[in-house]
Amino acid sequence: MRYQNATAYRFLTPYLLIFAIFWVWPIISSFMISFQATRTVPWRFAPTFNWGRLIGDPAFFNALKNTLLILVIQVPVMISLAIVMAVLLNSPLLKARALYRFAFFAPVVVGEVAYSAVFRLMFNLDFGIINKLLAGVGLVKIDWFSNVTPAMALIMIAVTWRWAGYNAIILLAGLQSIPEDVYEAATLDRVSKVKQFFYITLPLLKPVIVFCAVLSIIGTMQLFTEPFLITERGGPGGGTETLGLLLYRQGFRSLNFGYASAVAYTMAGLAITITLVQLWLTREPK
Amino acid sequence: MAAVTLTNVIKRFGVYEIIHGANIDIADGEFVVFVGPSGCGKSTLLRMIAGLEDISGGEIAIGGKVMNDVEPADRGIAMVFQSYALYPHMTVGQNLSFGLRMTGNPKEDTDRRVKRASEILRISELMARRPKQLSGGQRQRVAIGRAIVREPQVFLFDEPLSNLDAELRVQMRVEISRLHKELGTTMIYVTHDQTEAMTLADRIVVLRGGHVEQIGRPLDLYDNPDNQFVAGFVGSPKMNFIKGRVVGRNTRSVTVELVGEEKARIIQPLAGAVPETGAKVIVGVRPEHFGNAGEGDADLTVGIDVVEHLGGTSFIYARTAHGEDLVIQRDAAKVPETSEITVSIRKSYLFDENGQRLR
Repeated sequence: MRYQNATAYRFLTPYLLIFAIFWVWPIISSFMISFQATRTVPWRFAPTFNWGRLIGDPAFFNALKNTLLILVIQVPVMISLAIVMAVLLNSPLLKARALYRFAFFAPVVVGEVAYSAVFRLMFNLDFGIINKLLAGVGLVKIDWFSNVTPAMALIMIAVTWRWAGYNAIILLAGLQSIPEDVYEAATLDRVSKVKQFFYITLPLLKPVIVFCAVLSIIGTMQLFTEPFLITERGGPGGGTETLGLLLYRQGFRSLNFGYASAVAYTMAGLAITITLVQLWLTREPK
Repeated sequence: MAAVTLTNVIKRFGVYEIIHGANIDIADGEFVVFVGPSGCGKSTLLRMIAGLEDISGGEIAIGGKVMNDVEPADRGIAMVFQSYALYPHMTVGQNLSFGLRMTGNPKEDTDRRVKRASEILRISELMARRPKQLSGGQRQRVAIGRAIVREPQVFLFDEPLSNLDAELRVQMRVEISRLHKELGTTMIYVTHDQTEAMTLADRIVVLRGGHVEQIGRPLDLYDNPDNQFVAGFVGSPKMNFIKGRVVGRNTRSVTVELVGEEKARIIQPLAGAVPETGAKVIVGVRPEHFGNAGEGDADLTVGIDVVEHLGGTSFIYARTAHGEDLVIQRDAAKVPETSEITVSIRKSYLFDENGQRLR
């Protein structure tokens, strides 16, 4: 048995080595770097240099505020939308179900740069289809890229478009695991379809909803592509800068790895904290 | 309480007809069991009575009122599902009261009904538990309790015991029987287990391939089956079937020779049409209708394959010289130690080549 274990570990060694070098070590290393002043040569150990700056940095709080705002608004909207989409996909009345499933999932596999470019075109002030539609129904055009609120809304719309279908497919799997006879029993109990949704579907779907929410929270905490590509590096004037973007700006444009590492650990810490709070709030009663 | 009448009920799924015109009358307060092999349409028929499946043709009436287009909840029925169909996120108490709470039933009345059901089924101490904290038998009681609180005119049971182990199944069978006596409500029960059907039913409906094969009291079906299918389905171990040939006839009887057994001849009195000489027939013999050599109509010498001792009774699994398998029931004390045994057919049933009873 011990010999078999040794053989297994020999087979695993190449993977474990790569995992240790490219995963474990950067995590440890960046934690150590976060306690160093990295704008000087050579780097020097200064425990409060980056963490102290973090507490008083308006750019960090702006990025934190933007990230949390997107988290608080976009995640619930997207999950709610995904639930509705999943219920519709699960309806026996729906024809060409496989086509819809593919269509809902497709945004995830579209290249990020391509979809961002399309969104920039669609929301363009002068010739974008969205503003044309708004004008068509008598509403004023919106300058999505020059004002903070529309720009934030645009980021949320884009992220929702990209990930709602993905979550809907996960939720659909959850819906399909609810036995049909539970609904039949409720039908015989004279429980309306709407009440069945709120009193049976949602509670039974809760573990899957929590799973989707956790994935979305982690994803939103790392949000980078959309504010980088669609609103041009967190524009206007840092109005859509997220923690992910701040990290990138500090680490790879200012080459301030110490501060970027502190931001990275803050992001991870926040994601873990929010997820734990959510898991605690939605825990199963004993 | 209510009578249930099925008149020429048909069910089609697309172009496939599953139920081919079922006619069944169930009296008020009667316990009727639909029994048959998998795919015979028994559960579909039950679901049509419940309103969970549309009716493609014919009429279903409950309490004299045609229910074809009536919503399931308005039919005055309650159903117990094979998988229990309990709400997993609710406690037992919430499971029992859910339907009543959702429809705005007064709280006092809901509490009264839940209390009564929990007392009848002896589950009062389980009210705060969730389904996953219950045993299979307890879950089944809760499922039955949920039906009781609806105070229905008709109870429908869809193979309610098939997920339970053998011992619990016997126990729950007795419970359901007791429940029927206590409530006196019409009950329709679906099972593939003929033992359940025999022990529970006032009357049994035997189904095969969407056709009603026979309806009758359990012992009537056992003693007087209409065809080979019913004869084989009702009774455990099942009836033995031996191929035979008509070798003599008069207006009121036939003489049948068992194939491969020239000396084994049975004279069977017939009130109806008498088959021609030479016609192929099937002789049915229940395991307990074999006697000792010379006791009955025809003697057969068979080779013993296996003997199952069940205590008071034993079953001898044997084979005729012609290679036909037989099961013979004997008192345990009377099982021979030999590899061969001569038995006598004391009582037999005659079926034509198509399996229809000749009598």
